[in-house]
Amino acid sequence: MVIKDRVLEVYPDNVSAELIAHTRYITALTPQILGDAAMLAVDPDFHAKLKNGGVMAAGWNFGCNSSREWAPAALYHSGVKLLIARSFARIFYRSAINIGLVIMECPNITEWVKRGDELETDVATGAIRNITAGVSGKGTVLPESLLRIMTAGGLMEVLKAESGKK
Amino acid sequence: MMPMNMIEKILARASGRESVAPGDVVVANVDTELLHDLSGYITARVFENEVKRPMRYPDRVALVFDHHFSPPNEERARILEINRNFAKKHGARLYDCGSGNIHHVGVRKGMIRPGTVVVGSDSHTPVHGALGCFAAGLGNNSHAGTVMPFGKAWFMTPHTVKVELFGDNRRKAVPRDVALWLTGRIGEGGAVYKALHFTGEYIRNLDVWDRWLFPLITIDVGGKCGFIDPDEKTVRFVQTMTDQTFEPLYSDPDCVYESVISCDISDIEPQVAASPTLGNVKPVGGFAGRPVQWAELGGHGGGRIEDMRQAAEILKGRHIYPGVKFNVVPSSREVFAEAVAEGLVGTLFDAGCTWFPPSAGSNQAINMGAMAETEAMISTQARNFPGRNGSPKAVMYLASAYTVAASALKGCVADPREYL
Repeated sequence: MVIKDRVLEVYPDNVSAELIAHTRYITALTPQILGDAAMLAVDPDFHAKLKNGGVMAAGWNFGCNSSREWAPAALYHSGVKLLIARSFARIFYRSAINIGLVIMECPNITEWVKRGDELETDVATGAIRNITAGVSGKGTVLPESLLRIMTAGGLMEVLKAESGKK
Repeated sequence: MMPMNMIEKILARASGRESVAPGDVVVANVDTELLHDLSGYITARVFENEVKRPMRYPDRVALVFDHHFSPPNEERARILEINRNFAKKHGARLYDCGSGNIHHVGVRKGMIRPGTVVVGSDSHTPVHGALGCFAAGLGNNSHAGTVMPFGKAWFMTPHTVKVELFGDNRRKAVPRDVALWLTGRIGEGGAVYKALHFTGEYIRNLDVWDRWLFPLITIDVGGKCGFIDPDEKTVRFVQTMTDQTFEPLYSDPDCVYESVISCDISDIEPQVAASPTLGNVKPVGGFAGRPVQWAELGGHGGGRIEDMRQAAEILKGRHIYPGVKFNVVPSSREVFAEAVAEGLVGTLFDAGCTWFPPSAGSNQAINMGAMAETEAMISTQARNFPGRNGSPKAVMYLASAYTVAASALKGCVADPREYL
């Protein structure tokens, strides 16, 4: 899976799941409401920036603290195409894979990408090319079993496909 | 064979392997699944609409209503009804409003046994490592897609950090203070994906409900799970909760750690962590004098009988400061019964406290604990993030029950040692 798009913003370390999907919106019963609420507590201009690029970059421990699956779900429904962080909080990481939000770890990503840069990222090989700046880097490749879940659109899609086969 | 630590052995046994090493992805059998009222209904929706299979082991699954001791409005009543109907339809265990905090209920009902795999929707699920479990928080799709229909979940085996605590505290710091301090010492995000093995003479000498406070911090330093090797104390404790048999597993003495954090806790003072984050932790003097209008014993970091005893020790024969509201929230019905038997209910009531039903307390302010922007609370809760308790400008101070009680007496953050 290769994703070519612009960086909408570079977010800092320790962005909390509580702020990605604020407590006020976690009873939201439709994906639309949840997607519209994504990141509002972190960056009020998030949705405007999303019009100019579908790639989010972030620092260490993105999605920390609360276990809420609403956090990756909000990003997924907001239309984010790819999220690259130096590292992820593990429940966020796991839930993102399981719902099919495309994510990648790259321990130095915030050092060589900035807002507006065009990136070409191959999730299967970990290759990240910053076309604008003319530099390249390497992200962590998921184990094959997990990569398959994420790129298939999430755990449910895999389970449905597998139960269909039987 | 390579030496393994406790959680590696648990993951190996639960996935039918001889051994596992950090980085291995395993599919493990799950012994216990704890879901709470804030997300159970979403898991239920995925399970009913997409998975459409029977629940494989309903007796291993519990829905605990702990954020609501009572629904505050019709929408919440409807959400609870969805949760309730889901549990009944599949024969899962249901612990309705008034049962207590999800993790305490899990322990009290005998669902947490050494050597087992425990998963949950709550991010503080790693707390069960205190009883010798591999315990981790999962999202809704894992619960609905693999745990409910198959009794399994995938896990990546984490690298383990040894956290060794030793020394005799000379400054009247209680385990909650040491745990708050340790959160700052390891740092938020200081242990992302890691397992934390809490060990050392300080941990060994604690009773089980005090050990409990250490794996509790795992999630907020970014960890996957925290654990304490079981010992005779653990085994005896669990035997008072259940007749079910269990086989504890123990870390090999020569098991390998990714790194070691070794701390002498002798000179740690009582600690306070102020909003906006848990990493903003200082000795109590650093925040002393800041006004508080609310005080609470409750939440994942409190509501234990030990907390009620500490507060009563300070408040007996005294009265809290005018204008302060001090809410006491037992973590389980059993704790409330103990508080009645020990006379703590009367002592705290006479001091001006208000008793609330067993629950998670003001955690996320679902039916108590919301604050206006000018207000502040000091509590035994586990988190202090902006907006978690009402206005994003309201302040939450996290502390031990001693410090909460002393602060309620003075109307501001106060050092408990002048009363001890």
